[in-house]
Amino acid sequence: MIVTPRIVVRIALLLLLGVILQLSFFSRISVLGTSPNILPVLVVCLGLLGGAVLGAVCGFAVGFLIDSALLQTLGVSSLVLLTAGYLAGRYREGFDISSPLICPALAGALTLLAASGFAAVQLMLGVEAPISLLVLRELVVQAILGFLLAIPIYPIVRRVLRAALVEDTPRRGRLPIPFRTA
Amino acid sequence: MYRKQVRRRRAVLVLLVIVSLVLLSTHFSEGEGGPLHSVERGFATVLGPIEEGADRALKPARDLVAWFDETFDARGENEALNAEVQDLRGRLAAAESATKENEQLRKLLKLGPGGGIAGYEAVTARVIGRSPTVWYSTVTIDRGSSSGLRVDDPVITGDGLVGRVTDTTAGTAQVTLITDHRSAVSATVVPSGPSGVITPEVGDPQDLLLDFIENEREVDEGQTVVTAGWTSGRLSSVFPYGIPIGEVTEATIGEQETYQRVHVRPFADVRELDFVQVLTQPGDNAQASTGAGGT
Repeated sequence: MIVTPRIVVRIALLLLLGVILQLSFFSRISVLGTSPNILPVLVVCLGLLGGAVLGAVCGFAVGFLIDSALLQTLGVSSLVLLTAGYLAGRYREGFDISSPLICPALAGALTLLAASGFAAVQLMLGVEAPISLLVLRELVVQAILGFLLAIPIYPIVRRVLRAALVEDTPRRGRLPIPFRTA
Repeated sequence: MYRKQVRRRRAVLVLLVIVSLVLLSTHFSEGEGGPLHSVERGFATVLGPIEEGADRALKPARDLVAWFDETFDARGENEALNAEVQDLRGRLAAAESATKENEQLRKLLKLGPGGGIAGYEAVTARVIGRSPTVWYSTVTIDRGSSSGLRVDDPVITGDGLVGRVTDTTAGTAQVTLITDHRSAVSATVVPSGPSGVITPEVGDPQDLLLDFIENEREVDEGQTVVTAGWTSGRLSSVFPYGIPIGEVTEATIGEQETYQRVHVRPFADVRELDFVQVLTQPGDNAQASTGAGGT
């Protein structure tokens, strides 16, 4: 990925839009008894397109923004989301994205990981009330919703970052690559 | 070249993890007036108007999703409701006498028909943001300290208690709901009178637990639970007496336990909040201590 100031601005706007949409829309609706969380999905998409460093930085930034907006304990969401973004980026650096189902599957799995990580950090910080088994259902449903949300979100993120993606750079006008012999 | 990239990647990861852990531990240990809390409030102040605009713009889309959700639920509930109608017909006669009793209780609890609480002014606020996880049951509202809101002000809807204000900026406030794991509300069962502490069950917003009710005290299904509003010397509950909280759904007594475990279904649906009312005390400049959700 070629990171230019214009791309940085685009990514920043994308993250801000994601946080605002999460707070004002997705957190306020109920699907299968829970609220969808698009932030892990967004971070995974950015990691898959931009690599581990971009995924981790975006995960940290999104986590910081959401914790600040909700006046929550700073650092919890950042830690969880930067891990999700980094792992998505490492996958992209190590393997080919050969099937259209890879991104949704990875988004679902990493959403589950992020939600579980968030729960683990909360338990470490101390939970002063009994915990319902419905929390487990919440984790699974959020993973399924993460899978489904990645199907429209990945192409949108890809389109926003298209100018920076090496493999998506328009071929028109490019000089032909000379044929080389060994 | 490749090694350099790997080193850079690892360095960024380690740096971000360290920064996150430092933020977490510092934020967790510092007081409400600490520098990180101030930075956080600054971000929240900037994001508040954007959230408010987005909330208004996205309301039709949210309503559309809610309509689909309710229609889906309604189909499943149809059969159960038919069975309930039979049962409810039988209860209709009893309900009439219950209505009279209700009027008496309202007088007893000093509640007006609209649920107003004497000595408080209600500030109506719109919910503009909500935490996406079950671990933080909080909402952000579009009124803040400039509208007279203070930390620990009770927050209600037409149905009953939903939470209390736990942080404020000039234009927004954070409300910790009664379903948040840090919440604890002293409550009493009416009309029989046993008192206890309402705590949530993380992950199930339709079930609250009323703890510390002695086994000898009788609690029946269907009884109403309201805030206890205790006062002890200079200390007092942040909630005034008589705000409806919920209805007793189950009371179990363990064989070797001193206290009953009473399950309460909250009157207010905290998942569907659009508008709330914050009860402020005019002329009260004292900032209540935030404590650990002690109410």
